[in-house]
Amino acid sequence: MIELIGVHKSFGENHVLKGVSTVFNQGKVNMIIGQSGSGKTVLLKSIIGLHEIDEGQIIYDNRVFSEMNNKKRKSIRKEIGMVFQGGALFDSATVEENVMYPLEMFTKMTEEERLERANFCLKRVNIENANKRFPAEISGGMQKRVAIARAIVLNPRYLFCDEPNSGLDPKTAIVIDNLIKELTQEFNTTTVINTHDMNSVAEIGDSIVYVHKGEKWWEGSSKEILLSDNNELNDFVFASDLMKKIKNSGF
Amino acid sequence: MRIFFHFGRYYLLLAKVFARPEKTKIYFRQIIREIDKLGINSLGIVIIISVFMGAVITLQSSYNLENPMIPLYLVGLTARDSMILEFSSTIVGLILAGKVGSNIASEIGTMRVTEQIDALEIMGVNSASYLILPKIIAALLINPFLNIISMIVGILGGYIATVITGAIPAPDYIDGLQYSFIPFYVTYSLIKTVIFAFIITSVPAYHGYYTFGGALEVGKSSTKAVVYSSVLILLFNVLLTQLLLA
Repeated sequence: MIELIGVHKSFGENHVLKGVSTVFNQGKVNMIIGQSGSGKTVLLKSIIGLHEIDEGQIIYDNRVFSEMNNKKRKSIRKEIGMVFQGGALFDSATVEENVMYPLEMFTKMTEEERLERANFCLKRVNIENANKRFPAEISGGMQKRVAIARAIVLNPRYLFCDEPNSGLDPKTAIVIDNLIKELTQEFNTTTVINTHDMNSVAEIGDSIVYVHKGEKWWEGSSKEILLSDNNELNDFVFASDLMKKIKNSGF
Repeated sequence: MRIFFHFGRYYLLLAKVFARPEKTKIYFRQIIREIDKLGINSLGIVIIISVFMGAVITLQSSYNLENPMIPLYLVGLTARDSMILEFSSTIVGLILAGKVGSNIASEIGTMRVTEQIDALEIMGVNSASYLILPKIIAALLINPFLNIISMIVGILGGYIATVITGAIPAPDYIDGLQYSFIPFYVTYSLIKTVIFAFIITSVPAYHGYYTFGGALEVGKSSTKAVVYSSVLILLFNVLLTQLLLA
């Protein structure tokens, strides 16, 4: 479980996060949604410590992450798996080396054990016969799946995904969504996804946080989101004609 | 005031770079890779430029020393000292600042804008140390060898020029090479090379590491890296010459 209490973050005069408080539960797919520029990426990067927050607390299972120094944070960081928007795979390493990297850095596994674990993870995300290929030689969807394999290779307790479906076709996006959902249940991770893909929200979201102008504007389940009377949330969720038609048809 | 900001941030980055490595074995492997990438891959350009510069220094010296009162062996001496004192350390340093410096800045800058550095940080890896330290150590180890190779090849280039053009008799050139040789000049050149190797790797790494934006900013970082490295090499050249030779 990850708990945020009154998180504030500013960049100079720009007050991006204004006292965000929420709880992300274990074994659930928790989603942060919001318009571009609403502060959801800053919120995600603050949770994982890429941005230092100005005020408030970020607590990972009773451990106050935001008040730890870098040395103490390392123990929590080893429990975190992160899937970046662009994959963030290491260009100079092959698919297999990318997945094996955390094992090589943080475990005492032998070469064979590392290879076995990497192959297991790659198989789990349905990547086969691509071990020796470089990131530039595989498709965007495959890159995302390799990034997921790298994120889960150390059996993380916390899984973060920054817009995992961006740049993917709808069919591949559904595959990625389902994969994240399955892995969350299989490894009982606290999964936090940053997205503005309403299809993902409807398909796999257990708990949704809507961020608007740096504030938590709304919180609820994927079913409740469609019935909410919150104007800003409705403007966001039913922005497309398709969603408007669905709403008018009474779902 | 910006200079103090950059100086402070550069110092803080170096503190991160020289922190205790997470896994020495992985760093060792990285150092070997970097020696190949930064050093061995630069060997070709260093040899080509040194040969031609040695030849040109020899030919220009011989054409300018037409006074019969000046002994011909001075051409060999000029070529030797020019190569050892200035060319093999400073000019090769400037060439490497262009080749290696832009490579380092664009590599690390691209890793920054594509979130690869963030990925390392989230894993709990000291990204600055992991990415920059092997490059610095590799350059400190391999650049003195490049320097020595440049000296030898440059002097050889001068010899070839005398043989082919007949500008001066080859025995006079060899006499000049042996005349009044001061071994400390080689030490001086090697000291400069080591300092320049640190500049060539750490300054571009700094510019790459603090790249924010996209492809355009990576290009800008790469250009800045080459410009600042070159200026610092020239500045330290003056300082070290005053300190070591005055």
